[in-house]
Amino acid sequence: MIKFLSKVWADFREYMVLVVLIIISLIILSQNQNPNVQKVRAIAFGSFATFTSIVSDIFSVTDLKRENKELRSTNANLMLQISKLRKYGIVNDELRRLVSFKDGSEYPLLPANIISRSLSLTQNTITLNAGINDGVSPGMPIINDQGIIGIVYSTSQDFSIARTIHNTDLKLAVMDERSRVQGIMKWTGGELIIINIPNNFDLEVGDRIITSEVSSIVPIPIPVGIIEEYKAVETSVFSYIRVKPFVDLTTIENVFVLAEVKSKQIEGLELNFFRRD
Amino acid sequence: MRWDLIIPLLTFFPVLLIQITIVPLVSISGVAPDLILIILVYYSITRGQLYGTALGSFYGILVDLITGSLLGSAMLSKTLAGFTAGYFFGESKKERNIYTYNFSLIVFICAMIDNVVFSFFSAFDLQSNLLSLLFEQSLLPSLYTGVVSLLFIFSPFKRKTV
Repeated sequence: MIKFLSKVWADFREYMVLVVLIIISLIILSQNQNPNVQKVRAIAFGSFATFTSIVSDIFSVTDLKRENKELRSTNANLMLQISKLRKYGIVNDELRRLVSFKDGSEYPLLPANIISRSLSLTQNTITLNAGINDGVSPGMPIINDQGIIGIVYSTSQDFSIARTIHNTDLKLAVMDERSRVQGIMKWTGGELIIINIPNNFDLEVGDRIITSEVSSIVPIPIPVGIIEEYKAVETSVFSYIRVKPFVDLTTIENVFVLAEVKSKQIEGLELNFFRRD
Repeated sequence: MRWDLIIPLLTFFPVLLIQITIVPLVSISGVAPDLILIILVYYSITRGQLYGTALGSFYGILVDLITGSLLGSAMLSKTLAGFTAGYFFGESKKERNIYTYNFSLIVFICAMIDNVVFSFFSAFDLQSNLLSLLFEQSLLPSLYTGVVSLLFIFSPFKRKTV
């Protein structure tokens, strides 16, 4: 018997090892939401990110000049916009006082740098140099001055990994800013689309898309992109809606983590995908 | 200690560091070469199918853990890529498959398998476009990886390590 098994092993060991490793992979694939697996992941990427941040800093220094120029330009534009908005703000404050509204427009923003990124076309993620010690926790949105970038997925003490909007596992509740039509936006691996919107709904090419107020993940409306293509599909009751994001994920380096949960009460009640375990 | 078996495991970390920090700078519309796959193919051709399969599995699980992709997806795809590359192992074939343009062709084939399997497990659903899966997510990155592997053929480092 042992001789037979030895012969089988000698003849087919490559295939046997392959089958065993495939089975292990499939088992691991089914354990992605396991808390212990998440802990191992946090330790692994946290340890490696320390080295990554050193290399990333070296390359960031060489790019500072260009970045400074861009930031100065953005600052000037923002200054003009703030000046304009301040005028509206004063009027708004007066109106709010008249109807006794409470203002909740200030949100805590944690600055962070992208120290590495996986350029997988389907599973795009970024690693940030801000973690639990900085107040980052899973579920917080990542934004910049142009719009939403992604959602924090996993955190270690000093680093965190975020799924970007170019990740098939991230699905966001969004809405059309003009018509207020709600939908779910997802990445297919090649394009951002809004799914399950019936053909007769009021959407147009060029409409701004923002995150929806009904989202259990994103607390405030954040710009996402514009509708680049919209057509009714004859063979389906749902439309084809392609969104062009405001943020170019290949060039961003500095981001902010919106350190805000939508509502503690809602967070406690809702079972979104970050709270499955 | 079998250093010839351990070195490929250690090589992974500096290569992954380059992959996630420097390679994004040379990506074209989000399409980037996979350096991890190139070294996997190289070690599979030089050390055999069994070693290549196990090494692919090891590389894959680490990629999944460190980059935050769906855990098990890169492990599965790189295991199959390492296994496929192992078919080109053989003392008589080694010279021909590493020092010539054959190497790039093998890298391209393995990258296709790697990308198709990875895309299938990480992104495929009933609404997915199969043509897009094959072209945008598999063919283009595989071509880029194949082209970059040409640099490896002319690398002086390679002749020292074989």
